[in-house]
Amino acid sequence: MDKRKMKINFTLIAAIIGFMIAVQFQTVKKPEDRDTRDIWQLREALLKEKELQSNLLNEIRSNEEKLSAYKSKREQSKEKALRDTLNELKTDAGLTEVTGPGITLMIEPVMENIQLGETTKNVVSPELLKRLLNELNMYEAKYVSIDGQRVINTTVIRDINTETKIDGHTVKELPLEVKVVVNDLSTAEKLYNRMKVSKARDEFFTENLRLDVNAPNPEITVPANQNPIRIRYMEPVKEGSGS
Amino acid sequence: MWLPVMGLIIGIILGLLTEIRIPEEYSNYLSIAVLAALDTLFGGIRAYLQNIYDEKVFVSGFFFNIILAASLAFLGVHLGVDLYLAAVFAFGVRLFQNIAVIRRILLTKWSTKKEKLEKS
Repeated sequence: MDKRKMKINFTLIAAIIGFMIAVQFQTVKKPEDRDTRDIWQLREALLKEKELQSNLLNEIRSNEEKLSAYKSKREQSKEKALRDTLNELKTDAGLTEVTGPGITLMIEPVMENIQLGETTKNVVSPELLKRLLNELNMYEAKYVSIDGQRVINTTVIRDINTETKIDGHTVKELPLEVKVVVNDLSTAEKLYNRMKVSKARDEFFTENLRLDVNAPNPEITVPANQNPIRIRYMEPVKEGSGS
Repeated sequence: MWLPVMGLIIGIILGLLTEIRIPEEYSNYLSIAVLAALDTLFGGIRAYLQNIYDEKVFVSGFFFNIILAASLAFLGVHLGVDLYLAAVFAFGVRLFQNIAVIRRILLTKWSTKKEKLEKS
């Protein structure tokens, strides 16, 4: 009885071990994928791959040719010319940021001239700014910005409720920075020298303001005009109607 | 005597037929469990031949050794030390000893039988 039970035990455990071994064997065993091709088959396969490669290269070449053809077509097209013109016009109208040689002017109150108890006037009058702009334009200033606000042809500088406004932007804080960009560095030099002896300085001084002219800088950036330009009295000329 | 061998074969066939596969990273544990089981099996056979076989010791030793070996391997993996080598070493040494003892017992049995035959 005892021996029989023992035999059953042994058998069961042997079966478990066998099962475990089989599972382990199946886990470890990997399907072997052996390469049994001989040298000629390998060469054929290589030839096939090479053909594929040359085909792909041909395709790439033709695509690149097409691409360059399209590119050159686009370069010569009317669209390109139109685009260039549009960009030029945008630059002229002041819709783009401009970087170039120029000078900066600082407008600040004359502190030492202020009497005790006197109220300081922290506003630059629009007339003064207009005169300054006229003077700058006279000396070939190309792109001008006042207090970060681009000045273009349609810009208005006026007094609204004792506040000086440039196109709706209030000029409040002094000191005020005026950036001027000109065509080249020699023009900037000329502008600098002229501004140093200009009448504008005297005019500013009578209003207790000082106009400092900084030396020419080859890299001055004037921001773009942010306000939309409204054109009210303009319409395209109709062809043939000529006047 | 042939019943355990039959059991082994049946187990292997069953395992191969069911096509169970465990994940690759657990095959370590299974291998060490197989080793522990083999050790217990041979220990049981030796104990039977030496007439000190105890069923409780055998069955409990079988499961306990497997669990211990697997947990040792698990601990080794998490500690970054190859602790399962300790189990492999211990079980391997014991396997050889057990088999050696079994061989000697069988040899002595065989020789005494032969002597008896010669005497008679």
